[in-house]
Amino acid sequence: MGALLQILSYGVFSGALYGLVALGLSLVFGVMNYLNVAHGALIMLASYTVLWVCYYLHFDPFLSLILVIPTFFVIGWILFMGLFQRLLALPETEKLKNSLLISFGILLICSNAATMLWTADERAVATSYTGKVIDLLGVRLPYIGLATVFLAIIVVFAVHLFLTRTYFGKAIRAVSQDYEAASWMGINTSRACLVSFAIGVALAGFPGVVIALQTFNPMVSFDLTNKALIVLILAGVGSLRGVLFGGLLLGVVEAASVFLVGVAYREVVGLVLFVLVLMFRPQGIGGRKA
Amino acid sequence: MKSKLGIASFVLLMIFAPLLIKSEYLLNLLILICLYATLSHSWNILGGYCGQISLGHATFFGAGALTFRYLWLGGVSYYLALPAGALASLILAFAIGFPSFKMKGHYFSIGTLALAMIALITVQNLLPGVSFITEACLKEYSLLTIYYLAFGVGVATVAAVYALSRSKLGLALVSVREDEEAAEAIGINTFKYKVVAMSISTVIAGFAGGIFAFYCGTYYHYAPFELGWSFDPLLIAFIGGAGTVVGPVVGAVVFVLLKELFAASLGQVNVLIFGIVFIVTVLFLPKGLVGIAGIVRKKDRSART
Repeated sequence: MGALLQILSYGVFSGALYGLVALGLSLVFGVMNYLNVAHGALIMLASYTVLWVCYYLHFDPFLSLILVIPTFFVIGWILFMGLFQRLLALPETEKLKNSLLISFGILLICSNAATMLWTADERAVATSYTGKVIDLLGVRLPYIGLATVFLAIIVVFAVHLFLTRTYFGKAIRAVSQDYEAASWMGINTSRACLVSFAIGVALAGFPGVVIALQTFNPMVSFDLTNKALIVLILAGVGSLRGVLFGGLLLGVVEAASVFLVGVAYREVVGLVLFVLVLMFRPQGIGGRKA
Repeated sequence: MKSKLGIASFVLLMIFAPLLIKSEYLLNLLILICLYATLSHSWNILGGYCGQISLGHATFFGAGALTFRYLWLGGVSYYLALPAGALASLILAFAIGFPSFKMKGHYFSIGTLALAMIALITVQNLLPGVSFITEACLKEYSLLTIYYLAFGVGVATVAAVYALSRSKLGLALVSVREDEEAAEAIGINTFKYKVVAMSISTVIAGFAGGIFAFYCGTYYHYAPFELGWSFDPLLIAFIGGAGTVVGPVVGAVVFVLLKELFAASLGQVNVLIFGIVFIVTVLFLPKGLVGIAGIVRKKDRSART
């Protein structure tokens, strides 16, 4: 029983991280149908930024978010203006294909540039609470894992509130539901896309902190993109609240598979699940039929 | 007529090239160009003509390489092991490739990427070791043989794609790429044509994998399954010109030369440059480098008239 709960807890911790990883990708995909596979690379860059901020300014990793999030908002802004804006006018399938290809190029560039600049060495931010655990009924809960779960809940809730309660958030949702109709209602659609893309990239900062507290290297970007895509599909495309559940599902399934088939095939189980859902339920497990 | 003569003389030149240049270094480059051009064309049939952008071509390349290596080291001669590798790759396509067409559009792309990662991790776990050439096989190993093999397969591939591009089959593939629903509506069995495209594509990828396994002396068993073997042919095809006969060949020449140019001085920077060139191509040159030639020619013509 204790072992089972322990495994489940690890599943929940990594699941919360996966949810955070997928959040930005899901927002961008839901609003403007861009499949930004560079998201994993952006998270990797965010982790390095956290690393430098902690190293040079002696910030706590979680405190460093006040610098990292605005930085990545600006990066998202620049990426959109420079590369993605010109895709807005394309028809739906072309838009998707080209955004996939361009962001794929960015993914290659970022991961290789990071390897060249900062080497492929494993890095991690060490804090006073790294490795500390709470013992709860025989289950060991690491501080960082608990912090990840809280962070995930807060961030998803905040994004949800932003999209449902603020004027601009409502405009973004209108654009995601019907681009043309939104523009007839007087919404500045390209601006809504620009801001939501920038927010999507800024959201890479949150998983970036959690990754920085674990070990990471430049090649982690492929893995993260992969996880984000899996969660995106599990959650149902464009469903932000589903992201948290999709992440938890993947986390728990992976944790259980470590127990059942061994650590070597942990990734494979998630990928097989992904391919099966893609084949038989592409609208996602919880999603509605598009 | 003129172009046919040009092609014939080019092929002849390439056949006699190793006798003329006598430099192992250049021969290596030529082999790599042939290998990449073949692999990229294999991707091109499925991605460029049929519009099914696969991000997991390494699976089939790797299957060809693995089969070739096992048979060859087991004592089968290379000219038998090579088609066997292609066959293995085709069988794998039956097992995982055709079902993946249940995924449409971008789902196919990310789904094939997932399949490639599954294959990579599985092979890494099952065969973690290094593959060495045995002494018996070393006798068969000669750069000249590999060059002619790689060149022969390359020429056959380009010829096949040329024939394909002028055939009814090629037209059907393009119609699937342009608008799958419209193609379906006018009575084209899109699934059938996708299957045909993937079959041709995987067989060629299997041949390319076999040549890789023949050419590379010692490598990790999982090396041909690495994600790079999925990404490189895509980059090459797009930069040269996806959905054209000449494009992947031009792309392969540029790719190999750039790689050589920067490998000595700056290491990995070629991937960086290629990534940037790739993004620029997708944004501004949908027809790739071959497209530039087309634009120039058109301007030339309009200037004359």
